[in-house]
Amino acid sequence: MTRLDATRVLAAALADDPVVASLGHPAYDLFATGDRDTYFYTWGSMGLASSVGLGLAVARPERRVVVLDGDGSLLMNLGSLATIGWVKPKNLVVIVWDNGLYGTTGGQDTATAHGADLEAAARALGIAATATVRMPGELERVMARTRTEGGPWVIVAKVDESQPTVKPPQDCVAIKNRFMTAIGVHRAMGR
Amino acid sequence: MSPLWATNTCAGLHAAGSRHVVYVPDNPLSHVLGVLRDRHPDVQTTIATREEEAFGIAAGLYLGGKLPTVMLQSSGLGNSINAVTSLLVPYQIPMLILISMRGDAGEWNAAQVPMGRAVEPICHAIGLSTVTVASAEDAAEAVALAGKTAFMTRLPGVCLLPRRVTALAPNVVA
Repeated sequence: MTRLDATRVLAAALADDPVVASLGHPAYDLFATGDRDTYFYTWGSMGLASSVGLGLAVARPERRVVVLDGDGSLLMNLGSLATIGWVKPKNLVVIVWDNGLYGTTGGQDTATAHGADLEAAARALGIAATATVRMPGELERVMARTRTEGGPWVIVAKVDESQPTVKPPQDCVAIKNRFMTAIGVHRAMGR
Repeated sequence: MSPLWATNTCAGLHAAGSRHVVYVPDNPLSHVLGVLRDRHPDVQTTIATREEEAFGIAAGLYLGGKLPTVMLQSSGLGNSINAVTSLLVPYQIPMLILISMRGDAGEWNAAQVPMGRAVEPICHAIGLSTVTVASAEDAAEAVALAGKTAFMTRLPGVCLLPRRVTALAPNVVA
């Protein structure tokens, strides 16, 4: 399963769920499956997608918040799993596209190619709802479980690298405003 | 009883509309946390493992409609710069940033001095405006103004808590 295949499965499992996409290939592939106003594409701040997702999940407990992270990005901010394991927002779903390499920067190995197990790390840091999936059907089934079984979830999806061909919009303020309007925040803030 | 500067800092934060504080603690900030717990139970606090992470969590809170505050020691600004420059500033994600200063007047630890001296130049270089609390009495207004300006202009704003206010001032309590 390539990351793009997996992203297609994921996008089909989303309704109007807000999604925070880590910079680079996870964001590019999400855009490739069809742009939505509820997608927050990051263009920097490597490692922080799960942290942004945590804040969003706390602020909007009525929404299922989905984070698309990469193995390299999550390794940069592993402490985030400890904070998520402490705060335990039931509505947070962190998906880690784990291809064992830094795909956006030229394919250097990450630690997951040499034994690091991010699902085990999540469990060790207090997150009980976890899975590692390798096939599209498995990802589909676990995404269905996140609708009914409380999180926080960390789902490690083992994927093969695929070369993205498109990039999402690059106007950061426009991305933010569109996202906040789509999830109803601007109306609530009187803007 | 809590130090007046801490009581006033919390009053300012509250007046700016912030009900969510994400932080990495230091000794002076423990007084702020104590006042929040005792006098402002409507303020939710979250501890982060690292300052950069705190900025990420606070950004998510803002995207979800909250007005967040990040509290850190000046040493932690160095851990935070990429979050500020590649998330908060380009996306115009505002928050109140309270920095407990080390390395300024009255410091005893040489390891705190280089960063302490660099805090304001770094803030200005990366697009953060700064306000410095002048005294314990000034804290409520300075913090509230820094926060309100940040949220109104949709840009992060820093309020510096110097050591002569947080650690060296006469121990006035409120």
